[in-house]
Amino acid sequence: MDRIAQLLEQLDREAYVADPAIATSLHLALELHKPLLIEGHAGVGKTEIAKVLARLLATDLIRLQCYEGLDANTALYEWNYARQLLHIRLQERDGHAPAEAEAKIFSEPFLLKRPLLQAIAHEGRPPVLLVDEIDRSDEEFEAFLLEVLSDFQVTVPELGTIRARERPHVILTSNRSRELSDALRRRCLYLFIDHPPFEKELMIVRRKVPGASEDLAAQIVALVQRLRRAKLAKLPGVSETLDWAEALVVLHAAHLTPELVGETLGCLVKDEADLRKVRADIEAGRLPLGAA
Amino acid sequence: MTADLVRRTVALCRDLRGRGMMVTTAHAIDAIRALRCVGLESRERVYLALRCVLVARPEEVEIFDDAFAMALAPSSAPEGSTRVFRRSPPRDPAAVSSLRSWGEQGSESDEQGEPEPVPAASDMPAVVQKDFSIFGADELADIQRIASRIARRLAARPSRRWAPDRRGRRIDLRRTMRRALAEPLDLRFRRRKPRKTRIVAICDVSGSMDLYSQFLLQFLYALQGTVARVESFVFSTVLRRVTAVLRQPDYAWVLRGLSAEVHDWSGGTRIGESLAAFNQEWGKLVDRRTVVVILSDGWDTGDPSLLGAEMELLQRRSRRVVWLNPLLGSVDYQPLTQGMQVALPHVSVFAPAHNLAALRALERHLLS
Repeated sequence: MDRIAQLLEQLDREAYVADPAIATSLHLALELHKPLLIEGHAGVGKTEIAKVLARLLATDLIRLQCYEGLDANTALYEWNYARQLLHIRLQERDGHAPAEAEAKIFSEPFLLKRPLLQAIAHEGRPPVLLVDEIDRSDEEFEAFLLEVLSDFQVTVPELGTIRARERPHVILTSNRSRELSDALRRRCLYLFIDHPPFEKELMIVRRKVPGASEDLAAQIVALVQRLRRAKLAKLPGVSETLDWAEALVVLHAAHLTPELVGETLGCLVKDEADLRKVRADIEAGRLPLGAA
Repeated sequence: MTADLVRRTVALCRDLRGRGMMVTTAHAIDAIRALRCVGLESRERVYLALRCVLVARPEEVEIFDDAFAMALAPSSAPEGSTRVFRRSPPRDPAAVSSLRSWGEQGSESDEQGEPEPVPAASDMPAVVQKDFSIFGADELADIQRIASRIARRLAARPSRRWAPDRRGRRIDLRRTMRRALAEPLDLRFRRRKPRKTRIVAICDVSGSMDLYSQFLLQFLYALQGTVARVESFVFSTVLRRVTAVLRQPDYAWVLRGLSAEVHDWSGGTRIGESLAAFNQEWGKLVDRRTVVVILSDGWDTGDPSLLGAEMELLQRRSRRVVWLNPLLGSVDYQPLTQGMQVALPHVSVFAPAHNLAALRALERHLLS
């Protein structure tokens, strides 16, 4: 069997409902040793891909969660200052020369490896490095990351250069809250994941929430698909669909009723203005409930 | 891998470049490597593999699909042809010329008022106080340069990196540790510059607002990436995001890009609907740290209750809504239009943006 079909099957076994585009992109990322940039709406399963990939390669997942203000220290390495200080104190008490202490405290046991260095210094099989929500970091960090991703080596002044023995598999995700630099895009393979069509989403719900009956699952997905076409500020993603399906299963729902939807709508719609709008639509009978 | 396939792939890459996509030689090499990985038996795989390598953003998928279909067609474009395709429908010539006169110092001058010589290297009071609309067409480029310089001066601030500081609020452990080797617990401190401001600018480009919007966008563009993260939109009847257009390094390109993006430059105004479109599609750009800047005279031809509702939403989601109305620059102006009336309750700062001094005064509303 060829590798792409095999990947599709492996993804399926890991309960990730993939499509040929996803499998092809992963295959190319593995074969060409290039980072894969995944964009798409919140909750379409971008982060999940990295987790599943690590599982099916039987390797470690190292995750760098980005946020505004994330800097090189937090992403790469830092010295363990508390431990260094303690060591200096002990050395002093025992009457050792400061030079001796210096050589000691800037050595590997005193180094705190942050995700990027962890990925570079990783022993054994190359890990999957997930750089999550890169769009939330600053432009400066993006430039720094680009440098790291291009040669996978890091110089710690006190220690020397650490080089990755094998390139980690890198997956970056973005919600497009900010436009990424052309340089970063140029370096990556690209995959855009849209909200899934009805059949695919139904399959995901059936796989992930087996407690939901066929009828209920279809009604849930029909309503969610309809809401995505409505003018909401925050569109529900697949993860919201799954949360909602689980909530309904816990409530032993067999099919949707306006009351049930009203009580559980918070799982699906998370903006107050949206919530008001959807409630009004339900009361006016403008949304498909029950018979899907 | 046949020579023909290599040639076709290279031709596809060249075609994509002609259509404005960023496809380099490295991409072409990757594309051929990718084809080697997935084989050539399945058209779907070839398509998905090439798309994965050559496309870099969702907007490009459509362009790629079109080019891919042509590349696979039996008798596609003749070898070596560099056909350039236009993404957008033919443009309104009037709209283009309005832009051209801005950038290329239009030969047929549409001068109003009394043109004055503009000092090249300083922003003297006379120039700073003068309304943009009474500069001659030939002076606009100079004024634009001064506006950018003011913005850059505002932006010339300490970097975001940590720096040693005697009175900093965070202990600089790395430095402390170095010192501690000689003399323990002499604490070093560090400080950091506050976070970058996020600015979302939504500019009216209908009728008389066109000129002021161009100045504001250019001004904000100079702040981009230094002290602020700026997202720019323009609207008259429909909304367009122009952030990427403004980012292009070459000034002339920026102008051409703008005219291609904004078909309705200098048309009628639908503020409420444009803001609704913004909230709907780009609402996620706005959070509690974001300053939303709207430039418009408030002449809304749409439904005022829609404008009110969308303004309320913006106000609730953002840190501050700044409404710039260039007409405020004239002494006898009263914000009496219906649009202005419904918008004002949701505005935290109402200011003019009609001259250089007004742009400079924006600093405290934008960056504080």
